[in-house]
Amino acid sequence: MTLTFLIHQSKAFWRSKNTGKSVVMRVVMATLILYLLLNVLVVAFFLDRILKKTNPGQDILYSFNSYILYYFLMDLLLRFQMQELPTLSVRPYLHLRIKKNQLINYLSLTSLWTTFNLTPILLSLPLLIKVVLPEHGPTQFWSLLVSIIGLTLSNHFFSLWIKRKVNLNAIWMLIFFGTLILFVSLDFYFKLFSISALSAGLFNSILKNPLYCLIYLLIALVVYIINYRYLKSNLYLEELHTADTSHKSSTEIPYLNRFGKAGDLVANELKLILRNKRPRSVITMSLMFMFYGLIFYTNPTFSGYSGIVFCGMFMTGIFIINYGQFMFSWQSAHFDGILVSKVSAMDFFRSKFLLFTFFSSICFLLTIPYVYFGWKVLIVHFIMFIWNLGVNTLLVLYFANQNYRRIDLSKGATFNWEGVGASQWILSIPLLLAPFVIYYPLNLLGYPEAGLALIAVIGLIFMISREFWLNKLVKRFQEKRYLIAEGFRNK
Amino acid sequence: MIGISNLKKKYNGVTVVNIPELIIKRGETIGLVGNNGAGKTTLFRMMLDLIRPDSGEVLSDEKNVAESEAWKDYTASYLDEGFLIDYLTPEEYFHFIGGLHNKSKAQVDSELPAFSEFFNGEILKKGKYIRDLSKGNQTKVGVAACMIQNPQILMLDEPFANIDPSTQIRLKNMVKDISREKHITTIISSHDLNHVTDVCERILLMEKGKIIKDIATTSNTLQELEQYFSVLS
Repeated sequence: MTLTFLIHQSKAFWRSKNTGKSVVMRVVMATLILYLLLNVLVVAFFLDRILKKTNPGQDILYSFNSYILYYFLMDLLLRFQMQELPTLSVRPYLHLRIKKNQLINYLSLTSLWTTFNLTPILLSLPLLIKVVLPEHGPTQFWSLLVSIIGLTLSNHFFSLWIKRKVNLNAIWMLIFFGTLILFVSLDFYFKLFSISALSAGLFNSILKNPLYCLIYLLIALVVYIINYRYLKSNLYLEELHTADTSHKSSTEIPYLNRFGKAGDLVANELKLILRNKRPRSVITMSLMFMFYGLIFYTNPTFSGYSGIVFCGMFMTGIFIINYGQFMFSWQSAHFDGILVSKVSAMDFFRSKFLLFTFFSSICFLLTIPYVYFGWKVLIVHFIMFIWNLGVNTLLVLYFANQNYRRIDLSKGATFNWEGVGASQWILSIPLLLAPFVIYYPLNLLGYPEAGLALIAVIGLIFMISREFWLNKLVKRFQEKRYLIAEGFRNK
Repeated sequence: MIGISNLKKKYNGVTVVNIPELIIKRGETIGLVGNNGAGKTTLFRMMLDLIRPDSGEVLSDEKNVAESEAWKDYTASYLDEGFLIDYLTPEEYFHFIGGLHNKSKAQVDSELPAFSEFFNGEILKKGKYIRDLSKGNQTKVGVAACMIQNPQILMLDEPFANIDPSTQIRLKNMVKDISREKHITTIISSHDLNHVTDVCERILLMEKGKIIKDIATTSNTLQELEQYFSVLS
C-alpha cells in the first residue's frame, strides 16, 4: 500500500501543471541541502578540536555531552519553523477500503526523510568514532549513538505533533514557546538549574550504564504513539480542512472608509492577510526582520552608510518585498470576481499603494528604537522608507503585472515554492541593486551624504509623479489581465 | 442591450465559441442550454471580459465590453466560486459588494431579510467564512450578491446545479419576479431543461460553440429540447 501511495504521489508531482518549475526548484533545494550537509560534515570532523578550543581543560566527551540537550532544543526550534508536515492529500483515500493505519504509517514513514534527521547523526558520528570507540569501547559507542537517534526521532515526531496542534489552535504555539523560554531563562537568567549540567549528567551516565540508552528509544516510541493516536483520531475531512470551527465575526476597519473604494479594498486585503495562513506567515516573517538591524549595527565592521542603507531598505520595505512579490497571486482565488465587479483598475492599484504605505509606516515606526545606534541610522532609515514608497512599490507592482501563478492561501510560507516563478527572481535584481547603483559612485568619490540625498530625492520624485506611473501600470494591467486571470484559473 | 458579432474563440485549434451574430433585447430572459463543452461558460466569460476573444466583439449597451468598463455598473454575474471572496463572512461580502454600488451597510442590511427564505437560515449570522460553506450555499451567496447590485443585466452559470429543490424553486420565482417587475435582462445557463423552459422566454441551444437553435419558449419547447438531447445521445 505504501508503495501505491508513493507511486500516486510521484504521479501527482510529475503530472502537475507546473512540473518543470518544481523540478528546477527541487534541484536548487537539493544542491543547497547537499552544501549544508557538507558543512555539517566538516564541522563534525573537527568537532573534537572545536570542543577543545571552546572548553579548554575539559574532557572532550564531557563537553560534547553537555551540549547535546542544547542541540536538541535548537533542533526543536528549527524544526518548528521549517520542517514540513508530510502531505498526502488523504481525501481521495478515506472512503476506500484502506485502513487508517496504512494512511498514518505512510504519513509517518515518509516524514522521516528529512535533513533534520540526518544532521545529528552526521554531526556526532565522527566524534563518537574518534573519541568514544577507542576510549570506552563499542558498547558505549552504540549506546550513545542509539540515544542520539532516539532523541532525534522524539524531536521529529514531537515537532510534527505540535505543528498539527498549532494548525488547529494557535494557543499551542504560545504554550510551546512559553515552555522553551521558561527553560532557557531559568538556565541563563535565574541560574536555577543548568541544562548543560543536566545534559552532561544524563549522557555520562550512559557511558557508565549503556542500557540507559533504551530510555531514549522508549521516549521516541511514546512520542510516536502520541502522534499516531492524534492523527488517527483527526483523520476526518472536516477536521483536516476547516481548521477551527469557532465563530467567525464580521469585523469592520472603520478608519479605511475615508479612502473610498480603495480603502474598502484595503480592508478586504487586510482580512485576507489576517485570515489566511500563508499571508499571515509572511507578516510574522516580516516582523522577525525588524531584528535584522541588530546583526549589522552591533558589528563594528559595518561602520559606513551602506550597511544602514541595506538594512533600512529591508526593514522598512520588508512587507513591500515579501508580500508584494506575490502580488495579485494572493487574490488568485477570486480574481475573476474582482474583474467583473465594479472595481476600477485604478482603485485596485491605489489600494495596493495604500496597503504598502500602511505596512511600511508600521515597519518604520518599529525601527525607530535603532536610533540607539545614532541619529544617522534613523535618518537613513527614513530615506529608505521614502525610497521604498516611491520606487519599490512601483517596481513590485510592475512585476505583479506579469505574475500568472496561483497561490493556495491555506498553506504555510516556509519552503513553500508555490507561486514562485521567474518574475520573483528578476524582481530581486533591481530591488537589491538600485539604491547601491545610486549611492556607491558618490560614496567612492567621497560624498556618501550626497549619495544618500540623491536616493531621497529620487524616492521623492517617484512619490510625487506616482499618478503618472499609476496610469502606465493600469494600462499595462488592462493588456495583461486576461493572461493573469487565465493563469489564476489553473489550479 | 447586448450585441454579439463574429465572436470566435479557439483553444488548441478547436473552436469552442463561434457566434456570427446574436442580439439580446432589454428585458429578455434567455436560457442557454447545451451539453458539456458546448461553450456556454466560455461565452459567459467573453461576455464578462474575462477571456479575450480571438475575433469579434461583445457590445453591452452599444459599448464593447473589452474597451469600456461601463457595463460593470449594471451587470451582475455569478459563474463559479471564483467570484466570491472566500475569506470573508457572507455579511462582509454583501457589504463590500453593496459598497461598490454606493449602498451603505445599513442599506444592505435592510435588504438582506428579503432573502431569508432563499437562504433558508444557512447563510446569515452563521459565523462562517464563505470558504467554509457548502457549494450550494456558496451559490446562494453569489446569487444574492448579484441581486444586491440591482443589475439591469443578470448572468448566472448553472445556478440550479448545486442547490436543493426548494431553493431551486425559490430561485426560479425570484428570477421571474425581478425580470417581470424590474425589466431585467437575464441570461441563465442550465442543464435542467424543466427549469430553463419554465423561467426563460427565449432559449439558445449551443452545440460545439455554435448557437444551433434560437427559439421563443412555447408549450412545445420542452419537448423539442428533450427530443434534441435524446437523439444526440
